[in-house]
Amino acid sequence: MQAIAAQVKEAAKKLLEDKKVDLVVGFAEGSLPLRGTPFFARTPEEANQLTWNRGCENNLANFLRKREGKVAVVAKGCDVRSIVALTKENQIDRDNLYIIGVPCDGMVDRKKVGKLLGGKEVLEVVDQGDTIVLKGNGFAETAKLADLLHNSCIDCRYGNPVVYDELIGTLMPEKAEEDFAEIKAFEAKTTAERRAFMTEEFSKCIRCYACRNACPMCYCTECFVDCSQPEWIGKSAANVQDNILFQAVRVFHSAGRCADCGACERACPMGINLRLLTRKLVKDVKVLFNAEAGVSMDDKAAMATFAADDPEPFLVKE
Amino acid sequence: MERDPKIVAFLCNWCSYAGADLAGIGRIQYPPNIRVVRIPCTGRINPLFIISALRHGADGVLTSG
Amino acid sequence: MSTKPDKVGAVLVVGAGIAGIQASLDLAESGYYVYLVEKSPAIGGTMPMLDKTFPTNDCSMCILSPKLVECGRHLNVETITNSEVADIQGEPGNFKVTINKKARMVDPDKCTGCGSCAEECPVKVDDDFNQGLNKRKAIYKLYAQAYPNAYAIDTTRCLKIKKPKACGKCLEVCQANAIDHLMQDETLELQVGSVILCPGFEKYDVSQLWYYGYGKLPNVITSMEFERLLSASGPFGGHLQRPADGQEPKKIAWLQCVGSRNCRNEHGYCSSVCCMYAIKEAVIAKEHTKYPLDTAIFFMDMRTYGKDFEKYYDRARLENGVRFIRSRVFEVTDTFDDTGNCQIRYSNEDGTIVTEDFDLVVLSLGLEPPSGMVQLADKLGLELNKFNFCESPSLTGVGTSKPGIFVAGAFSGPRDIPETVMQASAAASDSAAVLADVRGTMTKAKEYPAEKDVAGEVIRTGVFICHCGINIGGVVNVPEVVAYAKTLPGVAFADEKLYACSQDTSAQIKEAIDQYGLNRVVVASCSPRTHEPMFQETLKEAGLNANLFEMTNIRDQCSWVHMQEPEKATAKAKDLVKMAIYKSALLEPIDGVTLDMNHDALVIGGGVAGITASLGLSKQGYKVYLVEKSAELGGIANQLRFGMRGEDLPSYISDLVAEVNADANIKVSTGVEITDVHGFVGNFETTLSSGDVIPHGVTIIATGAREYKPTEYLYGQNKNVMTLLELESLLANKDSKVTGAKNVVFVQCVGSRDAERPYCSRICCTKSVKQALKVKELNPNANVFVLYRDIRTYGFFEEMYREARNKGVIFVRYSADNKPVVEAGADSVKVTVTDHVLGIPIEINADIVGLAAAIVPDKDTNSKLSQFYKVPLNQEGFFLEAHMKLRPVDFGTDGVFMCGLAHGPKNLEENISQAKAAVGRACTVLAKQSISVEGKSAFVNERKCAGCGDCEAVCPAKAVQVDAIKKVAVVNEALCKGCGACASTCRCGAINVKGCTNQQLIAMIKAL
Repeated sequence: MQAIAAQVKEAAKKLLEDKKVDLVVGFAEGSLPLRGTPFFARTPEEANQLTWNRGCENNLANFLRKREGKVAVVAKGCDVRSIVALTKENQIDRDNLYIIGVPCDGMVDRKKVGKLLGGKEVLEVVDQGDTIVLKGNGFAETAKLADLLHNSCIDCRYGNPVVYDELIGTLMPEKAEEDFAEIKAFEAKTTAERRAFMTEEFSKCIRCYACRNACPMCYCTECFVDCSQPEWIGKSAANVQDNILFQAVRVFHSAGRCADCGACERACPMGINLRLLTRKLVKDVKVLFNAEAGVSMDDKAAMATFAADDPEPFLVKE
Repeated sequence: MERDPKIVAFLCNWCSYAGADLAGIGRIQYPPNIRVVRIPCTGRINPLFIISALRHGADGVLTSG
Repeated sequence: MSTKPDKVGAVLVVGAGIAGIQASLDLAESGYYVYLVEKSPAIGGTMPMLDKTFPTNDCSMCILSPKLVECGRHLNVETITNSEVADIQGEPGNFKVTINKKARMVDPDKCTGCGSCAEECPVKVDDDFNQGLNKRKAIYKLYAQAYPNAYAIDTTRCLKIKKPKACGKCLEVCQANAIDHLMQDETLELQVGSVILCPGFEKYDVSQLWYYGYGKLPNVITSMEFERLLSASGPFGGHLQRPADGQEPKKIAWLQCVGSRNCRNEHGYCSSVCCMYAIKEAVIAKEHTKYPLDTAIFFMDMRTYGKDFEKYYDRARLENGVRFIRSRVFEVTDTFDDTGNCQIRYSNEDGTIVTEDFDLVVLSLGLEPPSGMVQLADKLGLELNKFNFCESPSLTGVGTSKPGIFVAGAFSGPRDIPETVMQASAAASDSAAVLADVRGTMTKAKEYPAEKDVAGEVIRTGVFICHCGINIGGVVNVPEVVAYAKTLPGVAFADEKLYACSQDTSAQIKEAIDQYGLNRVVVASCSPRTHEPMFQETLKEAGLNANLFEMTNIRDQCSWVHMQEPEKATAKAKDLVKMAIYKSALLEPIDGVTLDMNHDALVIGGGVAGITASLGLSKQGYKVYLVEKSAELGGIANQLRFGMRGEDLPSYISDLVAEVNADANIKVSTGVEITDVHGFVGNFETTLSSGDVIPHGVTIIATGAREYKPTEYLYGQNKNVMTLLELESLLANKDSKVTGAKNVVFVQCVGSRDAERPYCSRICCTKSVKQALKVKELNPNANVFVLYRDIRTYGFFEEMYREARNKGVIFVRYSADNKPVVEAGADSVKVTVTDHVLGIPIEINADIVGLAAAIVPDKDTNSKLSQFYKVPLNQEGFFLEAHMKLRPVDFGTDGVFMCGLAHGPKNLEENISQAKAAVGRACTVLAKQSISVEGKSAFVNERKCAGCGDCEAVCPAKAVQVDAIKKVAVVNEALCKGCGACASTCRCGAINVKGCTNQQLIAMIKAL
């Protein structure tokens, strides 16, 4: 990790020194361990603050839309998928973007750490590869990395950036196809059960729209929720049906575009299981159209392309 | 109580709306529960229309084109 | 300059039925001024009298009404009513026309059509329009929707005209001072360049045939009387009843061929339309009654030969339960039991004589030429045939014996509405051909009052709810809906109208817009698909943008489909009106867009239709690209030797090909196909397989059809079995096979009228009869048999059928479930058929079996073109016109037309006529300087648009692109069809469709 962090620093410095780019978007150390914070380096000196660790979870594609000038980004697999998706949607000019690709085998979920430590504060983290040592006042706990990763990282099959101009670190072996087990389990429930679950889950929603803000694909100038002419849905968090509707439509809007980076779920202050919905669509798009968002610059947008052999299970055939 | 649902129908001007006209010309009798919204093409049906119709009390939505 | 000073850019159209109206509109839209002369006080002809039209069951008045209004309103059509042509002098390009104009006694410009005069008029007269089934007054309007919407005085019946002091009540009540009993007849003189005669037809005078009992038996009526009985605007408001005693008939018979196919009465021709209208009347009558109605049609041959007619016949028989009785009717008598019922005595096909009683008997009257034309024809030296129909020279479609004078519609032979309309467009084309260099010299341009700026105004909606006679008002409580509308937000005015589409209502709407300062108009009536443009025109004339209009359909989609539930239908009508009002409040003016246009034409298919169309366009001065798939021009006609009237076709075709090749305006490409098409009317770009890209403004599709290759009757296995096309060359070559034949058998309906091709191929009966006669001519001793299901020698071809029988051709009818059997023999083939008269199988050892094989479309080519030009095909693979009745050569897609066999089976003469019709229609487009787009296209809110490009991806018209620099979507309004796929895809609602925005649609939904 430290080696990668140093290489990132070097690469960024060089790009800025050579004036190849005006800006490098990456991560700096946050105020707490495992809290990488997005950082904008405009000079070689600022590039010194760049780093790489298990806390660089944010999707940096969010900061790349419609930027002036040449920009470089330190991007892990999910960032790159979003970048690809956004490029195809005219939000990023690939010609002006330099991707410093970093293969990523997962970021640490602080909620899992908190749970493991029973709420004790971590002051220092030592990355040992497969294990990780969490140190604090009077304790040092060693944990398996796999137990602490974000769920989205566990499910991720695209830790290797699919597109890059420069690669730091080494590419990882490919992972097996994921099975969407939790989605299948959800689908197996009765309508009533699903409704009960959704109602329960979305009674928590406070309509802070953090999910929307965290999502790299939610970039509408005016979200349909905010539209008042016409008013598509109610804006009060008190109405659970409207809360569900909001998320359902948001998820539909990201069908075929969502890279399953998990940013929405990480951003939710109420702990709503948002990936259940986003991944349902990820699965459907994969099953129905054999498409995955942001894995190739050539693929056409799954939901905006009609092919004569598209499955149309919604059509009742006699 | 007798069920008397309200059904909002989004009909394409060129085919199903014309078909509904034809049903009239043929005097084909059907229940009067349907309220037709004429649209220029089925492609005009924004999914949000369907949701909106249901939110505003429609018991069913028919899209046809 | 080649402009001859004496040519006149105006055309005289005689007769204002549907043919006259169509010809006038085509010419006026193509840049010519039209004088439309009509004998009666209103335009419309026969169509307004009809209740429904076959095969679509469209309401006749409803489909005609927009044309009436368009014609009546057209700036370049001068309608001259109450007038007849007295003389025509001169030559093509410059005729002097003398018109006798009878005094109307009412000034149509002043008359508002309010009808107060007729209410006061004390004189009751039989209403001719309603076939004398009821009375009108001596001052009258021909029919409710009549144009001009003005009354007229029946000068033979008016009291005041007889004795000036006797009456005058109408004068007292007329607020408009429109009546003047002293008006004098006038003689008008007009200068025109061409003349089109479309005086229509008269119905056969059945009193000549005593044995039908017409006039004697009160419950024997004519088919036209029955039309009026069915009509909602007829004497009984559409209630089906016997005119004599008001009783509801339970059993109705139709007797076919009354005054047709009867040479004893000098009516040896087939009237062509009666079979279909009788079926239609039976089907519609069944719809009218709440009780089971028994209907029976007594006929000789069922002649449902037109496009989609056979299916209509099948449906009537199999689904509607109309009985069809193949018979000869001897007489109709009273049942003599005081019921007033009638007894029909008839002979079945097998000769048994039967009687059956009916409550009502309808006589399917044949068509006669207009009697008034004989004198005029005589004066002009115009050749008439022996029945006094206009004689059209061979293969001209719409010509007459006088150059510069053309004919359309039933005057040149009995025909139905689509063919009449087709001929009208064809005559328009031919009449304009000589006038191309004076096009636009006499036309006027329309000016609308300046458009009022309604921006920022408080919404003031005017609501007009139509009764449509009783069509709506009979079910929906219209006054209640009006009262409800008045309570809705923004409604400043609401009223009910008997016919919202009539000329007087249009005036009233304009008046209301003015008086109440309306800035939105809602009409609740019939389908916006047919009537919206008409109402929008009214708005424009009132100075409002046409798109401040919203229409809702409370007839086709309410009163007609909920006839038994008047309360719920009324509630639904209220909802629909409310939805329209809510939407209308959000309507905004939409401005049209004007674009450059290419004035060249592309004709696809180099058969007779394609060549004729190319020559027609060239004569009007347009450049034509004619492309043909095969190596040579001529199409299937290359395989023909004789025309239906004996014409020498090989020399006709070679002349035609030579003419097109020599025409400098026409670029012919053979051996090429269409590989790609872009663009739209006025701006097409068609790529050929040769790689050439042709820019053009209009497209005429004339891809033809081919003869079905039979798989039945040993075809292809036995040399004695051949198709008619193959037999034709044997006949032309006087082959020994023919001259030495003992027995020649023709088998009809091979591949037609079956499950796979449920259509009639129309021309095969006539062709077989023609060939049978040819066999007899070459080999008088041969026995010739025609095995048929129905002999469909429509129109004057019936004469040929009679001639064949006289010359000994034997006609044997077989039924579809007992087809002839053909078996191979030594030198001949054995044909076995069960004769319907004898009821036993007959065996014929045939030397030649001629199979009347179906006409089948080229499905591959057609479906490719269908996708390229976005035009539909019907189930059989023929191209499907925009409207079966009134737009027979048009497509829904602007700027694309069709003609010939690609549209459906027809004979050469008819193909020529249709090709000219396609030219006539295409010229209405090409004559325009530029293309005007309505403007109901998608539009982008640049502030909201993120430029994601989903709209670009989904647009089927390729009308949206994301601007590379501004990163927002940009719409090409010329290409945009307004389908709205973009608006449905856009996540943030940045792209919308004018006249159909998210907001407007949600307003409708919220209204519920």
